[in-house]
Amino acid sequence: MKKAGSILLTAVLMTGLLAGCGGKVGSEGNQGSAGVLVDGKYDPPITITIGKQLDENAGKYFEGESLNDNVLTRWGVDNLGIKIETTLLGGDADQYNNKLRLALTGAEKLPDIIPVYDTMLMNDLIQSGRVKEVTEDIKNYMPERLKEIYKQYPTTFNPVIQDGKVYGMAISPVLTEGQVMLIRQDWLDNLGLQAPTTIEEFEQVIAAFTNDDPDGNNKNDTYGFTFSGKDTYNTGWVSDPIMIFSAFTGKHLPSKWQLDEESGKLVYGSIHEGNKEALATLRDWYSKGYLNKELATQGAWDAIADFTEGKAGIIVGRPWLYGSVSAVETNIEGAIISVHPTINGVTGDRTYQDAQLNDGVFMFSKEFDNMEAFFLYYDKLYDAAFGTGDFQYGYAQGYDYDIVDGEVVFDPTLFNEPLDSIQGVGKMAFTKNGPAIGDAGKDFYDLAQGVEANTGPLMRANAADETWKAGYVISYENREGLLPNLFNGPPTKTMQSNWEQLRTMELETYTKIIYSNVPLDAFDDFVKQWYEKGGSQITEEVNEWYSNASEVDVMSSMGLE
Amino acid sequence: MYHKTTGYKIFSVFNYIILILAGLACFLPLLHLLAQSFSSKAAIAGNLVSFWPVGFNTNAYAITFNNSNFTGSMMISVMRTVLGTLLSMTILTTAGYALSKDFRGRNTLMWIFVFTMLFNGGLIPSYILVTSLGLKGTLWALILPGAFGAYNLILLMNFFRTIPKALEEAAFIDGASFFVIFRSIYLPLSLPGLATVSLFIMVGHWNSWFDGLLYMSDPADYPLASFLQTVVVQTNAQSMAMSQSEVEAMAEQSVKAAQIFISTLPIIAVYPFLQRYFVKGIVLGAVKE
Repeated sequence: MKKAGSILLTAVLMTGLLAGCGGKVGSEGNQGSAGVLVDGKYDPPITITIGKQLDENAGKYFEGESLNDNVLTRWGVDNLGIKIETTLLGGDADQYNNKLRLALTGAEKLPDIIPVYDTMLMNDLIQSGRVKEVTEDIKNYMPERLKEIYKQYPTTFNPVIQDGKVYGMAISPVLTEGQVMLIRQDWLDNLGLQAPTTIEEFEQVIAAFTNDDPDGNNKNDTYGFTFSGKDTYNTGWVSDPIMIFSAFTGKHLPSKWQLDEESGKLVYGSIHEGNKEALATLRDWYSKGYLNKELATQGAWDAIADFTEGKAGIIVGRPWLYGSVSAVETNIEGAIISVHPTINGVTGDRTYQDAQLNDGVFMFSKEFDNMEAFFLYYDKLYDAAFGTGDFQYGYAQGYDYDIVDGEVVFDPTLFNEPLDSIQGVGKMAFTKNGPAIGDAGKDFYDLAQGVEANTGPLMRANAADETWKAGYVISYENREGLLPNLFNGPPTKTMQSNWEQLRTMELETYTKIIYSNVPLDAFDDFVKQWYEKGGSQITEEVNEWYSNASEVDVMSSMGLE
Repeated sequence: MYHKTTGYKIFSVFNYIILILAGLACFLPLLHLLAQSFSSKAAIAGNLVSFWPVGFNTNAYAITFNNSNFTGSMMISVMRTVLGTLLSMTILTTAGYALSKDFRGRNTLMWIFVFTMLFNGGLIPSYILVTSLGLKGTLWALILPGAFGAYNLILLMNFFRTIPKALEEAAFIDGASFFVIFRSIYLPLSLPGLATVSLFIMVGHWNSWFDGLLYMSDPADYPLASFLQTVVVQTNAQSMAMSQSEVEAMAEQSVKAAQIFISTLPIIAVYPFLQRYFVKGIVLGAVKE
């Protein structure tokens, strides 16, 4: 008996070993099969391999669907003869970057299309010589309507230009909507207050939200303003304290590079002297309990919880943040959220925010020789944004929209087969999100101006809640306050060795000042040390990069002028 | 009597309180997760759910079990855990038995093994090794690199050493070979040790997510822990131009909770079966020295 058992065990192990070896060999190497483009479709179908940072749908696919076999990949095979296959999948940003780096070290194939979100990695990929120069391909194959878009954002090419050659392109560039201020309107009403527009008014409101029991439950359980300072004091998307800093520093946003008007040089925002006053203000507010107590330990996404739970009265974020915090209106009776522009600065000028023009870039493996197919597919993905073609209402009927009794509906609970929430088909694409066009919520602005909702994108916008729409309208009206970071090249030489340390010092100093752990004058020491520990060197290098970047003209060679 | 003294009673009370607190500290998070998995979206977002579901529904479980990615990953995890544990235990017990004896070169061998405890090749060399061995993308990439662990080896070796030599000598006199002694005396007498080490290895395999992410290129090959890692990880993307329904889909906490909860069940289920072997002292009284 026992002998039989051990033989069986060995047998099991051996079978597994053999099966394992035979497993996955076939899945690679069907590259470059000679598909021919006939009437907008490849026959026989070709395969394009891609890298993907994160599969956001992983836990939620419909039965029988998965990353490499879903409604969108099937659509691609049926309509374009292009099969998209993910061969490199990360998890969070770091894991994805690590996997790409590992793929570079080994002798294995890179995916044909490589989305990259880290400027250092972009640089490494270019240096490795394994990514393709695409100047000619863009000129020859990029469809006209996409060229029109890329023409508007020449700076997005900066990180992928080396020696006048272009090694990639931004992933669906667009001026992304800026942040708005979400306030508990019912609290304002209870206390007879108005939405603040200046820093003094803002202070009055958050003081009242903290001390005057705005929710009327006779408990001291509320405070004014929640934001996150865990990773940066300029989060750029939600839980952002940026307007307080910008109120004192103007255009010099912390952790970003902007032009100094006097010297004409790029300077680093976090060392601007206005930050000292901003920190003094925040320090005062923090000690009085107006702010999120755990602002230094909560990441941007965690810091919204206090608002959703009805503890905090004000939060700043992209207009869609309303969708993530609106549970407070369901859970707490009488709770109403209203949206407002961010406050003005102390000089009376507006406050500014960081503008986002793209989320990462596409780079292409040197072995990938079918840029025409890529552009064909990429252009089709834009159909949802243009409201044309197969995707005029959304990517897939019954997934992210449905047609019920001849009406297009976007609310998943009203679908023919009702869903709890939609299937994010746009997130299945290699663009990470479905591409968008139109600056910072223009659709919503147009609707507010009385434009009829006669295209897919407008209908989609029109289906949103009133508060949601109002947020986007404000965002569009204030789009001049959005400033792109003027340094978007690869980390400079000194940055590679010292930047991490400087960033840590900066964050620590800011947090300790706000928490009153060090005197306010620690800011002056910080600025001094920043220059000494590599800051001045970095500033020089950044400016050198900037003057080079503004000289090199690659747009004309790509046919984008 | 000893256990009736006041001091002992006070000690007992404190003992129980501390043990109960420790127990709760392990149990309550799980209960919270379970409650979340049965709750409605708005209730979770508003932090209204503590240990009892609010807005009870079972949608999260319906979604989870209809999701072939989840069930597929679960199968891979089970396979890797079973195969990996069997393989590791085969290697470790045979190696541990041999090394518990004295023979020439034993110390050199031990030093080599201990060296691997202190130093390892690091991420990139390991990755290149696994890739060039052709293991990448196969189940063996998850099993073979960790099949032998010096720490577990030492544990088992020391366990074997506590078994009285006299037993072995008696068996030799009866004509048993080394292998028979190993199988009929050492293994049965070391059940507590085997159970402990198996549990370590099993839990290690079940929970390990990084190697899955690293060596598997097709997410269909992900073990459950790697799959969960991709589900739970918060998209830190400053996600662009999302529609309202997309944002609402993003905040789906109950599905995540359901999937995490289900993933903890197998280990919880295995534990009681192994626990009975943790009782020591079988050898006591077998021989007198």
